[in-house]
Amino acid sequence: MQEFAKIISTISLSMIITSYLIIELRNLKYAAYVYMIQAFLMCTLFAIFAIDNPGLYYWAATAFVTKVVIIPWLLLRYIKKTTDREFQPLIGYLGSIFLISAVVILLYRVTHSYIGFVAPSQFATAEPFRTNLAVSLSIFIMGLYCILVRRDAIKTVHGLLILENGVHLSLVTLAPALRETALIGIVTDVVIAVWILLYVIYGIYQKFGSTDTLQLRGLRW
Amino acid sequence: MNTEILYLFLTPAIAGILIFLVGRKSRVVAETLALLGTIVTFVIALKIFIATTHGEVLTLYSSQLRMDALSGLIAGLVALLGLIASCYSIPYMRREVEVGAIQAERMGTYYGWFMVFLATMLCATTVNNIILLWVIIEGTTLASIILVGFYWNKDAIEAAYKYAILLTVGITFALFGCVLLYSGASAQVTGGVDPLKLTEIAKVAGKMPKSIVLLSVVMLLVGFGTKAGMVPFHTWLPDAHAEAPTPISAMLSGVMIKVGVYALIRTVLIFYPFYPIVSTLVLVFGMLTMVVGVIMMMMQDDLKRFLAFCSVTSMGYILMGLGLANYLGIYGGIFHLLNHSLMKSLAFFSVGAVIYSTHHRRVSELGGLGKYMPISAVAFYVATLALGGLPFFNGFISEFTLFIAGVKAGFPWATVVAVAVAILNVAIFIHLTYQVFMGEAPENLKAAGIKEVPVMMWGGMLILAFLCLLIGVYPQIVSPILNEATKAVFATIAMP
Repeated sequence: MQEFAKIISTISLSMIITSYLIIELRNLKYAAYVYMIQAFLMCTLFAIFAIDNPGLYYWAATAFVTKVVIIPWLLLRYIKKTTDREFQPLIGYLGSIFLISAVVILLYRVTHSYIGFVAPSQFATAEPFRTNLAVSLSIFIMGLYCILVRRDAIKTVHGLLILENGVHLSLVTLAPALRETALIGIVTDVVIAVWILLYVIYGIYQKFGSTDTLQLRGLRW
Repeated sequence: MNTEILYLFLTPAIAGILIFLVGRKSRVVAETLALLGTIVTFVIALKIFIATTHGEVLTLYSSQLRMDALSGLIAGLVALLGLIASCYSIPYMRREVEVGAIQAERMGTYYGWFMVFLATMLCATTVNNIILLWVIIEGTTLASIILVGFYWNKDAIEAAYKYAILLTVGITFALFGCVLLYSGASAQVTGGVDPLKLTEIAKVAGKMPKSIVLLSVVMLLVGFGTKAGMVPFHTWLPDAHAEAPTPISAMLSGVMIKVGVYALIRTVLIFYPFYPIVSTLVLVFGMLTMVVGVIMMMMQDDLKRFLAFCSVTSMGYILMGLGLANYLGIYGGIFHLLNHSLMKSLAFFSVGAVIYSTHHRRVSELGGLGKYMPISAVAFYVATLALGGLPFFNGFISEFTLFIAGVKAGFPWATVVAVAVAILNVAIFIHLTYQVFMGEAPENLKAAGIKEVPVMMWGGMLILAFLCLLIGVYPQIVSPILNEATKAVFATIAMP
């Protein structure tokens, strides 16, 4: 696996950059395309790790079908039905990039330095698994950030997808022997969750005239 | 007998699929299939409940599916309330169609999702695989989103969106927790044992690195705690419970949030003997949930939101029991879980009866209904007195068990807080009962000619009211069941 360390690091870094783009791109259609690229990068990572652990080829194939094909198709379909312009976010470009960079750099440094805290075995503390785990936790936090600060409902779904990708990526280090049935169960849940969420968001668009979640103030206390 | 585990969740799942396939064009076909499906499911669940609460452990597929007394008890509750809710739904949803709140052609969708929702909850009680448990718990959310937003008006869609996003994000935390648990156990198990099995993870709980345990427990508490309505992750609960059709509110409050507690019991309690901080964390969250719930109850005018916050308070009691970590505490927690399922679904069903007859649900718009709806009034009295924790009702017995358990476990402060919350509860419920069913009815309600609800609605309410009273007067009847369920919890916890 060491001979692929550079490729793994490059793809991992690309996953962080694509997460940035998904969060910051104001055009929801472009954000969906970038999500597709990120999912493809993740499949490539799985395929590389599969050289040592052939079981991961199934993961790469499952992730390709669900995350590169089905989910972007659903996203683009509902974006077409609603709008491709993200509703004005709570924090502007500069503030957002500064804030998210600070959080990601801090988390990445801490995770990378104190990997023993989250690594279940010695094997997981060695490269490239150490980088994989640090990247997946950073992506997880980026997804959470997107859900918390974005007011556009479709962008919230993008955040949820980044969050899921963070967990999914960590499985390579934390659960490489996980059976395909369990993995298929996880990704099926994700696909259905995205579909139902987009369906409800379409309902919000029809009833409220936009996908701005700040309008959802009818039920309080 | 073991294969009946499969039939338990396949029966409602197949009924749900059939309704989607052939029941969407005919309301009667959808209703009949749902009713038949819930009756058969109830019979299967009853057999499993009897077997497991007599000490039998059912397993299938090399213990990937496993049911003990705790699973049997929760499956029994889900099936019972599923049957009552499906009977109740027939007149209730027909009325909603009559008044134009729902289009007639959507009834097939309602019953289809209802059966799938039931199937997912039952399946959650059968799995012994940590990742499949996560998958099914998320499945219970996905199956109920459309039901929560079923009225498809502004408030219902808002509730459905909040419900979907909060529970999906919360459950993603639980996935991280489950994966960490699995990976921590994988490094410890030997001899070809499957580290995905909850029972195998429990055996090596004490050998896992402390950091992994604490991180996964926090993730699981956030994830499954959100599902269970634990404060501060409870914000979806009042909206979803209030905006869903009443039979669904009863299912959400009566059993779905208990499935979240069940997942917590299976994944978090296994660390109690090795890391006392875990039980303290559960206790603190329980007390916080209880206090916030009762404060929010006092601020409600909407009957269903009031009951939703009451569920938050009750979840606090259940978590308190689990957090006390002694036998009596866990026994009391499971006891309150059982009682809360019965009394809260009864309360929702009787409030649904009020909505059915008056089309009002604000406390300030109601009054004097006891004269016009005597059976619903009796059901509501029983539910509120039981929820208020008055003697001779089931809520009193389980709350009292928890008070004693608190003192015995060395947490008298928890008992003091719980007693204070219980007193507030009594006051709030007596006030509510007086406002809705006693006194003089407003003129507009008198003029509307209010009548008692049909037997399909009050029949189930009477059964639940009877059970609340029976357990309250003669609690020994459930003692053997609760003992078996508590023993089942301890049987899966490895000791140092």
